[in-house]
Amino acid sequence: MKKSNKIKLDKSTMVLKIISYVVITLWAIICILPFILIISASFSTESVISKEGFGLLPKGFTLTAYSWVFRYPKQILGSYVVTILMTVFGTLIGLFIIAMTGYALQRKDFPFRNGLSFFIYFTTLFSAGMAPTYIWVSRYLHLQGSYMAVFLQLLMTPWLIILMKNFAKSVPYEITESGKIDGAGDFRIFISLIFPMLKPALATVGLFLALGYWNEWYQSSLYLGSSVDYKPLQYYLYSIINQANALKNSVAGANVTITALPSNTLKMATAVVATGPIVFLYPFVQKYFISGITVGAVKG
Amino acid sequence: MKKKQSQEMKVAMTAGKTGRKKSFGKTLYNNRVLLLMCLPAVVFFIVFCYCPLPGVWIAFTNYNFRDGIFGSPFAGLDNFKFLIDSGQLWLLTRNTILYNLAFILLGNVFQIAIAVMLNEVRRKWFKKVSQTVMFLPYFISVVLIGAIAFNILNYDTGALNTLLRETGGDPIKIYSMAGVWPFVIFFCQMWQQTGYGSVVYFAAICGIDSSMIEAAEVDGATSWQRIRYIILPSLKGTFIILLLFALGGIMRGNFGLFWNLVGGANSQLFPTTDIIETFVYRTMTTQNNFATSSAVGLYQSVFGFALVMFSNWLVKRIDPDYALF
Amino acid sequence: MRKRTLGKRAVALTMASLMVAGLAGCGGDKGGSDSKVKEDGSIDTSKHEVINMLVLGNKPTNGRLEAMLDKLNPILTEKVNAELEFTYIEWTDWQTQYNLKLLSGDTSLDLICTATDWLYGWENAKKGAFMPLSEDMLKTYAPKTWAQVSEDDDWDICKYEDEIYFIPEDNYVQYTNQGMFYRGDWAKEAGIPDGTISKFEDLTTYFKWIKENKPDCIPWDVPGKNLTGGVLGGYIASKTPYCVINGVGVGNFTDFWGVMTDDPTTVMSPYMEDDSIYEAAELMKEWNDMGVWREDVLNFDGDSREEMYAGTSGADQHHAQTYYSTIVPNMNAKQPGSDPKFYYWGMENQNVSKPLKLHGACAISANSQHPERALMVYDLLRNDEECYRLLNYGIEGEDYVVTDDGKLGHPDGWDQSTMALGSNFWMGRNDDLELQDSTWWDGTADFIENMNSFAYDYPFENLIIDTTSIESKQAALANVLSEYIPQLAYGKYDDPAAAIDEMREKLKAAGYEDVKASIQKDMDAFVKTNGEVTIK
Repeated sequence: MKKSNKIKLDKSTMVLKIISYVVITLWAIICILPFILIISASFSTESVISKEGFGLLPKGFTLTAYSWVFRYPKQILGSYVVTILMTVFGTLIGLFIIAMTGYALQRKDFPFRNGLSFFIYFTTLFSAGMAPTYIWVSRYLHLQGSYMAVFLQLLMTPWLIILMKNFAKSVPYEITESGKIDGAGDFRIFISLIFPMLKPALATVGLFLALGYWNEWYQSSLYLGSSVDYKPLQYYLYSIINQANALKNSVAGANVTITALPSNTLKMATAVVATGPIVFLYPFVQKYFISGITVGAVKG
Repeated sequence: MKKKQSQEMKVAMTAGKTGRKKSFGKTLYNNRVLLLMCLPAVVFFIVFCYCPLPGVWIAFTNYNFRDGIFGSPFAGLDNFKFLIDSGQLWLLTRNTILYNLAFILLGNVFQIAIAVMLNEVRRKWFKKVSQTVMFLPYFISVVLIGAIAFNILNYDTGALNTLLRETGGDPIKIYSMAGVWPFVIFFCQMWQQTGYGSVVYFAAICGIDSSMIEAAEVDGATSWQRIRYIILPSLKGTFIILLLFALGGIMRGNFGLFWNLVGGANSQLFPTTDIIETFVYRTMTTQNNFATSSAVGLYQSVFGFALVMFSNWLVKRIDPDYALF
Repeated sequence: MRKRTLGKRAVALTMASLMVAGLAGCGGDKGGSDSKVKEDGSIDTSKHEVINMLVLGNKPTNGRLEAMLDKLNPILTEKVNAELEFTYIEWTDWQTQYNLKLLSGDTSLDLICTATDWLYGWENAKKGAFMPLSEDMLKTYAPKTWAQVSEDDDWDICKYEDEIYFIPEDNYVQYTNQGMFYRGDWAKEAGIPDGTISKFEDLTTYFKWIKENKPDCIPWDVPGKNLTGGVLGGYIASKTPYCVINGVGVGNFTDFWGVMTDDPTTVMSPYMEDDSIYEAAELMKEWNDMGVWREDVLNFDGDSREEMYAGTSGADQHHAQTYYSTIVPNMNAKQPGSDPKFYYWGMENQNVSKPLKLHGACAISANSQHPERALMVYDLLRNDEECYRLLNYGIEGEDYVVTDDGKLGHPDGWDQSTMALGSNFWMGRNDDLELQDSTWWDGTADFIENMNSFAYDYPFENLIIDTTSIESKQAALANVLSEYIPQLAYGKYDDPAAAIDEMREKLKAAGYEDVKASIQKDMDAFVKTNGEVTIK
């Protein structure tokens, strides 16, 4: 093999290899560039930034912005707590329900599986739309201004259930069978036999859910607005990026005026602080995640 | 208790046979555990997806709060009439569909290209690092993407214009130029999604039977030929499935991205950036106009539904294996 | 096949159950009265209640509000066995959040700050967000307020279909006509006589001078994202005798419908029928080209007032009361010698209407669980000196002091922009209890007197437009406006005149004439019952 390999390193292969390295390197740089821009901005001096704009290297290196973020950390800590609680509980509960449903819906001996699958799938085909949903949730469910409006609506999506169902399909039916022979009930079979075998699927769906919760700002903008003390993290970020006053409130207790704040760099420092954790989470689940989306995508 | 695999069929069959005689209640009872397992999800979809459905009636009313959804005066098709007459609906449909087509087609092509290139790369560390880096944008919220874009593109302090000024060029008023925004938005979408998509395709490439590739190599196929005749054809399945999934959502847009990039006030950019979702959100939140908002939402649902049905029908005729349902 | 039907039946069953759930969810529940009048005429307040007050303003984060409530609540508890709680709608997203909050039918709200000219008062009353208040109720639970408003004969302007919906802030003088704040010192240097801007064109001169002489300062660093209409309306008011009809805003363009004061019963819109909009748009284009605001104004959301204090914005836009209560003291402290001045719309043609009695008002939420107690609390907040001062000024000695001459002062080192109480009680201020603020501009009284000398009474306080049948056409109009107005207001069209023509075509197609006819019908009925309208 080795010999023939060398022969095949002909010109076109070489060209292709070089192109591949170059293109991927370039794209990777493009992917990472904005992060560098933000991080360097967060370490820059406000006055320089507001005159000269952002650059790749910190302009007038300073930790001022971060010291503002952490000097009066009440707001951002509150947002952190809210977001972490939502993410953790939302992911766990959502994951459990999705796994349970996904498993049940692929059971060959479950006569309602097609009906229920379609019942769930139908919601992706036809939805009421933003306004009727909004009126329903806020006026009839009375969830306006409640974290529950955000928490509940992100618990699951039809797509994740379908994904889970496809995963569960790949678990041999014999396992369920053997559980039945041992006299275990369906729920027991699911918990003790199936659940542990769904690990990559759980990691994948879990990461999707966690990502959904962590990056959530849209439901918050509709249902929470300024009526909660602590906005979920990304909505908090949305507010301080888009609203001058929110920036001032972010350093509540500081008794400052907006103009005294390093607004650009402070925004960027908050962005770094608000985004960091989810980025760090990724490498830990990368392995499962990649195998997970692969199975899900290939099987539809 | 019955035994082993061969009986599996029997189970299903007997269930089928006796089921006809069994009452519905009995079937329910026999499957109570599995039904209960589905219950939370079913309740969820009832509460958050089915219950709001009657609300689409708003689209046909002069909606006001006091009279509620069904008490507000009937307006017939008034809410739609203006949207159609003014060309608004057409504009929104066009934008939404064109953006989605670009995202789906060009996006997938780009993702496949990256995946194929990743496959050509032999150094393991390079593969790993570049994959991780390319995946990074997927983890960023659209809020941050909007902020990044503004910080790069804005006129006064944007990185791009700073660079232009430093190099003696003329700064560009990007936030007044509707024409460039399709490219900006497309780029941002690619920036965020390419890593994710290419990993999917790359995994599919890895799943190709290596004996085929080796055989090709023995036959003296060049890399180009290998890609052309083995790798690309084997991605067809993944591509079609992703395509179909995406077509189902062709009337829906990546709302968060558009909203955070363009905002709700800069109407200069609307002709090229307004999609159905942004219009619906804007009319609802800044004008409290639930009726128009619902009308457009309903149009989106109905038209989208028809599109899915049509494409599914089409696929079924061509190759039933790929049909969604 | 069998499975199919089963599945369908399952769906049908669940659908049926969801209908039931849906119906059950619709039934609202109203709490019974817990403040019944006892046989001896006293009011039963044995149950402790929390009264939630919705106010507009930025949620204070400096702890002063909490400190004040710690003092106020024991008093309220002692007097009516209730305590007060605040819910804030912040300025950044008030246009959205205020209406959504009311629309959501939140049962925790009791007292709601509203206004008919800018805070969708009539709209929300018509939409059923507010509770109709019977005379008995007012007499029993808010007797002092009842007496004072009756004395001023102001209940009639609070009625819609013969029901009272608001308690007006009618015993409080303030001017809330909009205009531009600017620096007199710079205006003088710019060569404007006496440094006093007296017509719209002077603003151009002023801005141009700043652009040329103050490189670190943006002439008017307006957050266009929030102020989408810019000063188009201001220009129209200053060049024509246009008077807006309240309560019939198109989307958030509240000044679309009105009359010309020389023909006060003919409904029209200057955006559609008057030439001033062409001039205004041209001027805005000139301003934009000049760089009066930042290039990306429509994506900018800053605080031009704070910037003006810091010297990075040359102007700020709001109303008269803000000028004499906030701008002058702050500018004098932070930009000494800046000689802050106020150019109000209609200055040049004396087209200013007197303050509306419903520019601030209190409504009771339709979903309030204890409206009676809410009224009792309101009566105290508005009429009891101790409560009034706590609520509006804070704790004596810490937040405010009474100066030797009986005016309102503040302890040394007190800074309004960081230490303000932020209770925003704009629904029941009372001149009988107001302390004259020593920090306010000392020309306030003269200013008000001057305004009183020529401003006319708003003639349409009782004119309520029935919008139910024109809702979708109004929406279509709003849709057109939201596309064109921001760009006209910030001079973003190369050819504004052509854009206006285009906009007018679209407005016509959107049903302009129909809406106009409908409003005109209400106007005709109004004229019939109230007699000829003259504005002077």
